[in-house]
Amino acid sequence: MESLPTQAPVPVLSVRGITKRFGGVTALAGVSLELLPGEVHCLAGENGCGKSTLIKIISGVERPDAGEVIIDGVSHSRMNATAAITGGVQVIYQDFSLFPNLSVAENIVLTAEVAGRQRFYRARAVRPKAQSIVEELGLDLDLDAEVGDLSVADKQLTAICRALVNDARVIIMDEPTTALTHSEVARLFTIVERLRSRGVALVFVSHKLEEVLAISQRVTIMRSGRVVTSGLATEFDRRSIAQHMTGTELDEARIVGPINADAEPRLTVSHLDLPGAFHDVSFTVAPGEIVGVTGLLGSGRTEIAEAIFGARPAASGDILVDGRPVSIRSIPDAVAAGIGYVPEDRLSQGLFLENSIADNIIAGSLDRHRNRWRGLDGARIRSTISRLFASLSIKAPSADAPVRSLSGGNAQRVVLAKWLATDPKVLVLNGPTVGVDVGSKSQILELLRQAAASGMGIVVISDDAPELVSCCHRVLVVARGRIADELRGDAISAESIHERMAA
Amino acid sequence: MSEKQSPAGAPALGKGAQINERVGIATREFIARASANRKTGRMVVALLLAFSIFAIANPRVFLNPLNLQNIGVTAPEIGIIAIAMMLAMLTGGIDLSLVAIANLSAITVVSLYSGIAANDPALAESLTVPIIVAGVLVGIGCGMLNGVLVSVIGITPILATLGTMQILNGIAIVTTGGSTLYGAPESLASFGRSGLGPVPVLFVVFLVVAVLVALLVSTTPLGRKIQLEGANPVAARYSGISSRSVLMSTYTIGGALAGVAGVLFLARNPTASADYGASYVLLVIVIAVLGGTNPNGGFASVAGVVLATLTLQIVSSGFTALRLSSYEYAIAQGVILIAVMVLDAVAASRRARRPPRTAMPAATPDAPAASPEPTPVTAQKETEHS
Repeated sequence: MESLPTQAPVPVLSVRGITKRFGGVTALAGVSLELLPGEVHCLAGENGCGKSTLIKIISGVERPDAGEVIIDGVSHSRMNATAAITGGVQVIYQDFSLFPNLSVAENIVLTAEVAGRQRFYRARAVRPKAQSIVEELGLDLDLDAEVGDLSVADKQLTAICRALVNDARVIIMDEPTTALTHSEVARLFTIVERLRSRGVALVFVSHKLEEVLAISQRVTIMRSGRVVTSGLATEFDRRSIAQHMTGTELDEARIVGPINADAEPRLTVSHLDLPGAFHDVSFTVAPGEIVGVTGLLGSGRTEIAEAIFGARPAASGDILVDGRPVSIRSIPDAVAAGIGYVPEDRLSQGLFLENSIADNIIAGSLDRHRNRWRGLDGARIRSTISRLFASLSIKAPSADAPVRSLSGGNAQRVVLAKWLATDPKVLVLNGPTVGVDVGSKSQILELLRQAAASGMGIVVISDDAPELVSCCHRVLVVARGRIADELRGDAISAESIHERMAA
Repeated sequence: MSEKQSPAGAPALGKGAQINERVGIATREFIARASANRKTGRMVVALLLAFSIFAIANPRVFLNPLNLQNIGVTAPEIGIIAIAMMLAMLTGGIDLSLVAIANLSAITVVSLYSGIAANDPALAESLTVPIIVAGVLVGIGCGMLNGVLVSVIGITPILATLGTMQILNGIAIVTTGGSTLYGAPESLASFGRSGLGPVPVLFVVFLVVAVLVALLVSTTPLGRKIQLEGANPVAARYSGISSRSVLMSTYTIGGALAGVAGVLFLARNPTASADYGASYVLLVIVIAVLGGTNPNGGFASVAGVVLATLTLQIVSSGFTALRLSSYEYAIAQGVILIAVMVLDAVAASRRARRPPRTAMPAATPDAPAASPEPTPVTAQKETEHS
């Protein structure tokens, strides 16, 4: 690791006393940050701590209520997106915001062309510009490939090149390593070193701590809208960062209930295959068992879940519920078979945001609440809603409150309640605690343990190793569409999961 | 929000607590209904306002019982089509073919009746009910066609129904040769003229249809699914709701309602033509939206649509009473629609500026037995507002 430049360098960008409120909620309270040229700065914090709001303010998407953003000594109290881009601030979001139907070269150059108010787009002038950037960074990128066909890592490199075409001096990367394999991370880091030597300041927003610590010079940790601590990366380790992030000791206690191994498996998946997504996937889930499925983004873990739930049915293979083969060609098939699915994207796939908590809870079980005349049985619906509202301790003034008003953890409980109302035999959860704060997280895991204890078979898809350690009886590791590994019992630890995922 | 926050659901409590809980449920439902009906309340005000304006401006003509009865006779056909439009919009779609369906259904009834009556008038009269049923069945068939196009094939509703509107209009013109057909069952006409006291029977039919649709929407699984499909089609899919069957049912019901509206055309006036009610297509959209239907789907109120129908009919007949032309009425329609939308937008932005009433930790306090969780772990104060 290289040392910082010795004489006090002038920050490329600094942020002073930024405060931002949304309604009555204070997202940022007096946050200050300095970015030096040629440094990698790690911005760490839990979901909802204000990281993303801070980035939005730096990139001019949101306006702060107080405080200023200073680029090259020029203060902007009302930064806008154009000023940010001309000031050299570029954000690379997790989805990269690329155009999948355009070529790599076009993606690299197009935004600069548009921002440069070129009246005409000259296809021929584009290539050399893109080429020079790619060569400068020593990348092996096919300029003519369609971006939609690239691997995640290559998409990321395309996004980095695009930032550089715009003369980026500050590049903010949101969760840059989440979707990458070990070797891809290594490649990213060599490029990051090259960028540093050009004097670019990089901000890594992340909660994947080990990797980020390896490359960052400085670390800033946020919690509840404030900067808790900031200092040289060498002063931190994984544990101390986690402690600052959560304000508590890391709780990775493993609590798993007993399972009856002799019982008929709740779910049996055998030789499930969907070309292009996953191959020959077989596993079972016993009553009361929580099986974790992990793997990198794009490894096929989500596709497996969606095939079991019928959202994207498998091309071949068998699914058995309680030993009975079921044909799952659609979501209603899966629901009828007793399979529930808590989707990855809670806000768009899981919830009816404008509807009440009550509407959401019975959304999946309307046909189970019919009376003799095929109408809805109001009394039974009310009792289901109030039972789940109370037993999942959803924090809201009443079940009539719109779901939009709930925090991440409470919203996830509503999705959970929707499936518990269908009395499922198998419950598949994709990223059950993504975007959920620590306190709610352990409560949601506890709810899963209770559901399992009642005899349900549970599949948890997650890349959050501590969470898997905390609640899973077994962990399946998916790599390139196949189940590559299975961890059981004492073999399950955060380290072993990380190791197998990266393998 | 409600003062009575008895956390419903605390199971197996004492009798007092049970009564308490009942009261709590009732209060909450009342409040929910009142707030859901904010738009309906607004329509009541608009209705009274329109009525008073015209009653004052020209009481002699406007308050004439004949004029009021006329409103009661013309409102049903428009109102029923508007309710059908509301259903389509509730799923997030639209049905432009409703008026064409109604016309085709009316033409079917007239053609069947006059075809049979040409040989045997008595037989034709005795077949009134089957003939009317045939007319409504034509409506159902057209609705199913829309349903197939929208749900099975997956064409955007506005385009699918624009297509069927053109097709059905074309069929109507070709079969009638573009002329107006005369002749409807006499019993249908006398039904249309009769009344329950001062209230025209057609208006009673309208209210009955409205109540039935309202019950369908709020008290059946299908009705709830229609709402959820409109509120968020992706979440509806991931909740196991089959959008295909929901859309199919919605457009079929819409077709049936349009068929009924076509029969009501004839009950009022025993003629049918391909271009009848051409101006209704946009009018019913205006009515549906005025009645509080969210054009993006998910939220609507039958009561609001009924009130909006009456309001616009009052404005229409008031304009006639003031000797204003139908063109001026068209201007008024547009002005009313845009004024209401502007009011909505202003109200919405005012609501958005208010701080959100989020996560009051109120749900758990006095039901410890119902909460199976161990006491929440640390960092509780950070769990809000994430």
